[in-house]
Amino acid sequence: MSHADTIPVRVVAVEQVTPQIKRFTLAPIAGGQLPAFSGGSHIIVVMRGAQRVFRNPYSLMSSPNELDSYQVSVLRVEASRGGSQFMHEQVRVGSELEIAHPVNLFALEKLARKHLLLAGGIGITPFMAQLHDLRLTDVPYELHYATRSPEHGAYCELISQAEPRRSRLYHDSAGKFMDIEGLLSQQLLGTHVYVCGPAGMITRVLDTARALGWPDSHVHYEKFSAPPTGDAFDVYLAKSAVAVHVLPDQSLLEAIEAAGVDAPYLCRGGVCGFCRAEVVAVDGELVHNDHFLSAEEKASGKFIMPCVSRARCSKLVLNL
Amino acid sequence: MLITGIRSKPVYAPLQPDLGGRYHLMVGHGVGAAPLARLLADLTQAAPEALARTRVWYVAEVSAPQNPLEVFRSAQVAQLRTFGEVEALLSDLTAAMTQALMGSRLYVAGPESFMGLVMRIAHQFNLNKDEVRAEECGSLARRVHCIHCRATIENVRSNIVQCGCGRWLVVRDHYSRRLAAYMGVMVDAESPGERPEIKEVFL
Repeated sequence: MSHADTIPVRVVAVEQVTPQIKRFTLAPIAGGQLPAFSGGSHIIVVMRGAQRVFRNPYSLMSSPNELDSYQVSVLRVEASRGGSQFMHEQVRVGSELEIAHPVNLFALEKLARKHLLLAGGIGITPFMAQLHDLRLTDVPYELHYATRSPEHGAYCELISQAEPRRSRLYHDSAGKFMDIEGLLSQQLLGTHVYVCGPAGMITRVLDTARALGWPDSHVHYEKFSAPPTGDAFDVYLAKSAVAVHVLPDQSLLEAIEAAGVDAPYLCRGGVCGFCRAEVVAVDGELVHNDHFLSAEEKASGKFIMPCVSRARCSKLVLNL
Repeated sequence: MLITGIRSKPVYAPLQPDLGGRYHLMVGHGVGAAPLARLLADLTQAAPEALARTRVWYVAEVSAPQNPLEVFRSAQVAQLRTFGEVEALLSDLTAAMTQALMGSRLYVAGPESFMGLVMRIAHQFNLNKDEVRAEECGSLARRVHCIHCRATIENVRSNIVQCGCGRWLVVRDHYSRRLAAYMGVMVDAESPGERPEIKEVFL
């Protein structure tokens, strides 16, 4: 199944925002406007490298009210599998890319009485777009943004200028840290909390919220895992009758696509659940790296999320 | 008749303590005392330390079979308040919700109309099903909203009821959480005077 009709775009601006973050502005090659989106949406950027095709999710950070172009920020990851490296090294003004339509898996809760936004590092990007939406409402909101240092904090100045009273910045280098427990223990009923940042920060927010009695329905997070690497293994796709070899630095989904099978996906980050595949047989163990399947589902061994998960085995059979 | 099989009719379930919650507020009316007493006993058993973060608010009814206050008192909750009227409890509940922190849980027990009025306040504060637990007991008499003149008729026990505006209404299962009332729709609009037999159904 293919939902992924892509839109050809041209890079019209590239800015070095911090030593490791670049901002890309993408405009439709065909002219006109890009599809409308709401704050918190992401797009998949398709990068056609010499050896391989990369498809990475990036949050849209530009205003949902301006559709002549989209903006995404890309953090250069040290142990990059290729996607962020490709964006930083190969993509320049004039480069042509393809993007998938925006999807929102991190939407603001419309009925909230207050929004508490917690960002860490590059996790600021979805909030940049949401701030545009929030300024149009009467609902109170606060943004708390933690970075390593002012130098590594993208858009710190922009945020403190636009939101002087509703934002608070924390820099590790200055010994200032976000007091997650203090923040979560003092919120009035009807508040929703949103967190986007490093895995450790997300885990701390989720654990603290639960300990303080927050129901899960009021806690929202977005963490796109890059597909972890591992040993190579072989897969057989039972419905398509196709054998696939997964390389150590390739995701299961990428290997399936490279074999010419059109598998479903939406976020490519282990979040949305769209790519869930049924495991028919495996002669080893599944290595689950997603945030979607429940602990029971993972333990059952019946399902796998090919976008981020893999297997330690010689042969895995999927009902695809 | 347009009366049953409508999914907006609220569904309630027996009360159980939510140990994931940090602050517990239990409100009851009349026969709601029994479920609240059971809830308190369960909480005392499962997490006695939570009683220090528990409040019980209760509207007594003259016809209540026994005085439940002794049971509430013996549980040693942080706060026990009694009210003479539902209205007084509701207005204090709204004030309390304005101050309440995330991590709070609301428990409701009582007759149909009381449930609706408390749930309406809960919805105003964006509390969802993870934060509110409700058990219905006692009278199923309904609050009915006349969709023609927009008046509310209290304590409706029959399938057909006459509104103050003179119209005869059929009481539907179509429920408005915003109004905390069931919809009453003119029953003989098509053929004036032709009305089904009136029966007591919400007892």
